Amino acid sequence: MAYPYTHPKEVRVLSQYFGDPEARTLKGWEARGGYQALRKALGTPREEIVNTVKASGLRGRGGAGFPTGMKWGFMPRKVEGTPHYLICNADESEPGTFKDRELMRWTPHALVEGCVIGAYAINAEHAYIYIRGEFFEAAQVMARAIEEAYAAGYLGKNILGSGIDIDLTLHLGAGAYICGEETGLLNSLEGRRGEPRVKPPYPAISGAFGKPTAVNNVESLIAAAHIVLNGADWYKQWGTEKSVGTKLFCVSGHVKRPGNYEVPLGFNFKEFIYDVCGGTPDGRPIKAVIPGGSSVPILTADELDIGMDYEAMAAAGTMLGCGSVIVMDDTTNIVKQVRRMVDFYAHESCGQCTPCREGTAWAARILRRMEQGRGVPDDIDTLLAISENMSGRTICVLSDAAAAPITSSIEKFRADYDALMAPEPGLVGAGLTGAAHGSVR
Amino acid sequence: MAEESKAAVETVHITIDGIELDVPKGTRILDAAAMAGADVPHYCYHPGLTAPAQCRMCLVEIEKVPKLQPACVATVADGNVIHTQSEKALEARKGVLEFYLVNHPLDCPVCDQSGECKLQDYTAAEGRAIGRSLEPKRVLGRDDFGGDVTFYADRCVMCTRCVRFMREVAQDERLTVVQRGHRSVIDTFFDDGLDGNIWADNIVDICPVGALVSKDFLHKARAWDLDRTPSICPNCTQGCNVRLETRDNQVQRIKPRPNPEVNAHWMCDYGRLNYEWINRGARIEAPLVRGADGALQAVSWSEALTRLAAALQGSAGESRAVVSPFMANEDIGLLRRVIDSTGGGNGVYRCQTGEEVVLPGFPTLALRTDRAANVHGAELFGFGRTGGADGLGGLESVANHAGALWVLGDELADAPAGFGSAASVFVYVGHFLSPAARNAHFVLPATTFAEMEGTFTNVRKRVQRFWPALQAPGMSRPAWQILGVLLAGIGDAAPVATAADAFAVLGGVRPEFAGLAWGDLGQQGAPLGSFAEAGD
Amino acid sequence: MSAGHGRADSPPSSWPAALQNPGFAGDTGEFAALSEADVRGSAYVGERPRDGGHASVAGTLPYQVGANDGEAPIFVGEYEERLQKILSRYPDRQNALLPALHMAHEIRGYLSPATMDEVAARLELAPAYVRGVASFYTMYNLGPVGKYLIQVCTNISCNLCGGDAVFEAFLKHTGTEAGETSANGLWTVMEVECLGACGFPTAVQINERYFENIRPEDVPAVLETLQ
Repeated sequence: MAYPYTHPKEVRVLSQYFGDPEARTLKGWEARGGYQALRKALGTPREEIVNTVKASGLRGRGGAGFPTGMKWGFMPRKVEGTPHYLICNADESEPGTFKDRELMRWTPHALVEGCVIGAYAINAEHAYIYIRGEFFEAAQVMARAIEEAYAAGYLGKNILGSGIDIDLTLHLGAGAYICGEETGLLNSLEGRRGEPRVKPPYPAISGAFGKPTAVNNVESLIAAAHIVLNGADWYKQWGTEKSVGTKLFCVSGHVKRPGNYEVPLGFNFKEFIYDVCGGTPDGRPIKAVIPGGSSVPILTADELDIGMDYEAMAAAGTMLGCGSVIVMDDTTNIVKQVRRMVDFYAHESCGQCTPCREGTAWAARILRRMEQGRGVPDDIDTLLAISENMSGRTICVLSDAAAAPITSSIEKFRADYDALMAPEPGLVGAGLTGAAHGSVR
Repeated sequence: MAEESKAAVETVHITIDGIELDVPKGTRILDAAAMAGADVPHYCYHPGLTAPAQCRMCLVEIEKVPKLQPACVATVADGNVIHTQSEKALEARKGVLEFYLVNHPLDCPVCDQSGECKLQDYTAAEGRAIGRSLEPKRVLGRDDFGGDVTFYADRCVMCTRCVRFMREVAQDERLTVVQRGHRSVIDTFFDDGLDGNIWADNIVDICPVGALVSKDFLHKARAWDLDRTPSICPNCTQGCNVRLETRDNQVQRIKPRPNPEVNAHWMCDYGRLNYEWINRGARIEAPLVRGADGALQAVSWSEALTRLAAALQGSAGESRAVVSPFMANEDIGLLRRVIDSTGGGNGVYRCQTGEEVVLPGFPTLALRTDRAANVHGAELFGFGRTGGADGLGGLESVANHAGALWVLGDELADAPAGFGSAASVFVYVGHFLSPAARNAHFVLPATTFAEMEGTFTNVRKRVQRFWPALQAPGMSRPAWQILGVLLAGIGDAAPVATAADAFAVLGGVRPEFAGLAWGDLGQQGAPLGSFAEAGD
Repeated sequence: MSAGHGRADSPPSSWPAALQNPGFAGDTGEFAALSEADVRGSAYVGERPRDGGHASVAGTLPYQVGANDGEAPIFVGEYEERLQKILSRYPDRQNALLPALHMAHEIRGYLSPATMDEVAARLELAPAYVRGVASFYTMYNLGPVGKYLIQVCTNISCNLCGGDAVFEAFLKHTGTEAGETSANGLWTVMEVECLGACGFPTAVQINERYFENIRPEDVPAVLETLQ
């Protein structure tokens, strides 16, 4: 079941054992059917695994929604002497997202299994799990599980007598959201500053240590293991035609029952928030909802009657992203929350590209000044111009992500901004912009 | 001319700003645009370094490609139609420039880079007239990076050229980006600065703004007041191609100019900062001849050379000479010719030496052990080394010579008091009237390399031209001209009027020079024939 | 050779025994019957050996600030063994930089210039390069911090549920300014970005442990369990 609240409308594929402490142990996992997928995979030709995952329609669960099977299919033919790598992206840092932590601390062996299957499928002999540094505790659970797996012969040389060697290494990050971007992650894994790389070349050609690499999200790998075990058609019983399967949705903010829920893609968003999550705590009206993590445009309360899938969200002018739902009721000061989000991007920008490095900080300062009631009418146009100059111009999309809450909130919550205009704009000088707390490092 | 290579280079056909051209496959769009005459603005790209594509200035529009592409890393594809000045491209650049100026101090009135600043140039061309930021600017201040480099952090555009130069070319990673995002700043490893690395000043060259500046040059001269003359660094045998940048008839600084065969884009700090000696005053300004009363008298050139020719005819036996390795091929070669025409003889040169320091990222370039430009020219024309590592001593063999004694450019700073007193004819062709020079019968004022045309021969036997950057003082003349006129006077040699004439004489002295025509030299030089394939 | 803080396989002495309340997420929802150990998985994890255990996981020991001794040697004894295991998992020495910095951080409490220099020397990297990498990441403290580094999430999900008030409460009850260390050396309080526990607002990370569902009124009790 999902955690810490359950709901009968859930479909519990990945989250079945959340809240079940036995499931994290090797014995517990095996007793619950674990490692059957791995056994089946190692007895299946690699190309068939890739094709199965392709046919299933599984899309990357980390936010980009890129078809997982297609990503694996981009790996080049294996050349003797050229190692391939599978990287599991467990650098869960998108605000509002907390599903991978649950997957790792309740079902660590599921991830070990997913990594082995993914590595096998792409001819990799070494897989790395890049886990964000703050997840010390989840990392310890993963570490224990990996040690158990090695001891039981699910990892290492000649896995279960198959003749296949796959090593797994757990790598701890050190606090940088940008290391969730796949090429930033690769640089961080290599012991560099976690700055994203220019693409091309793509990781499938030149990734970790310059070698062919596939980077996959935790949830994607675990789902892939289920698909290998049960078949592509089994997975298609849920979801829509282009957004197949189930997904973990993280719900936070002004909801009665925050937590993770697993529902089929395409589930009605309004029903999800009001029924499954219980609506707002005091029954107050909803003002705004972010459907997919802070990097996607904000929706108003009137825009929620859509499916929770990639296509419907895009049609509504936003994105499914990583499925992190943040609900805001009518007590919310939108400008304050947008400011806080833009502060986040300014703080996390790697600093390579000029539009992002300067634009996020500038926008954050304007929003801070507006939040303090010292906004001027030109600020709106300036914010929109900054957002435009930050979009589509940079090595990675953190810049575009920072612009999303700005443009969508100005478009849909203009009244919140107007309410913060200074009574005498002419007196707004270049004075203090210090926020309440300046200690975010 | 180089032979056409047998394998044809594959080309692609593209259009840039309406101009159609064929360029080799794999060419960066930035370079292809340059071939078409379109200079795409950029900061982080530099031809001598890797390209991180992070400044986002060089974004160009390619038809049918949805996003703007960075021209410094995107390569041409057949059929590309590229616009560097389309509305989208211009808007993108305008936006990036505005972002740079949000925190930039705009202190052009006190910034050395003013007049040669890429931020000024691009903003004036394509930037917004007025910035829209109302926020206070971040202030980082000034940091002493050690060596000759000061860092004005507020002006930095975070192009990271300096970091990459130290890492990739100097291969001595002294600089890094500290922190991330808008807090990022270039810094050293705390108090470990750039001291001890002799390539550090190259980062001042490649910094597109006034963030990294030379302490030596600080507030000395404005860029637009400087005249820039192509020349060759005189300070070691590497022969880095440089520009002498002058104002008020003084060298204000030396900057490298690119030569892929010699120094790429770089030069060392030793050579770069050793220019004060070129500006020394107190020069000999007129020809001086010793009169009957034993005193030196200023005379005209024609009188000086007429009397010298007569004196030489009256002198018997071999000559001796001391030449300076700072003199040009033409100077030294013509002296060899004069000596050979007047009974023969031999001579020496002195040269200061020091440790060789190779530039790891471009090992063709090194600060060479011989700390003067034309040691190899001197050797080729038959002069041998004498003296110590300090460039002094070793004059015993010539000090008391009884026949004709020639001194060409050597200041004789350490010569004994009676130097040359036994000589039948002592001719001092040089720049400064040192005590030993006063013993000469003839003191003929010569120009330095900075005041004339000529060539040096570098350690790899490459002959490279330099041009006059300074006005010659008084009546001084290039030594090759003095000796050339003298030669014509004492024999039937053709008159020498230009450096090209003088160069043509060299072929008769050393056959290697015969294979090289003045017109072959250009601004990048050419190797002496028999040494063209030889290594170092 | 012991690195100087207790038995080789015991958690750092800075950490008191785990307590049920306040601040662990098992208190919410339908799983209140779970113990804290069940939720954290601490019994499953057990004690991790200081030499890293299996090489595959040697880079991920649980101690952010295990000790706080600026002079303690870093790459000796069990820690050197751990580093060797880590090095065996990557093609190049440079790839071990983040785990090596974590180790140095664990022993010394923060990365001083001298510490960065030692890590650089051990991995044969330029010190300036190591400084550039270390300063990029938030979790490497570049100056000394208190015995307990209290990191309060004030990003949007926690912010909507009063994260700012929780932050203020920590500042008030520890008597510190944001980012500064208290006079008694116990506390440093700072804001951080999303900790990935958004369903349990407000999330607070203290050294390596998460405290969740923290409200301002919980703060005094949390501080007391630490002291």
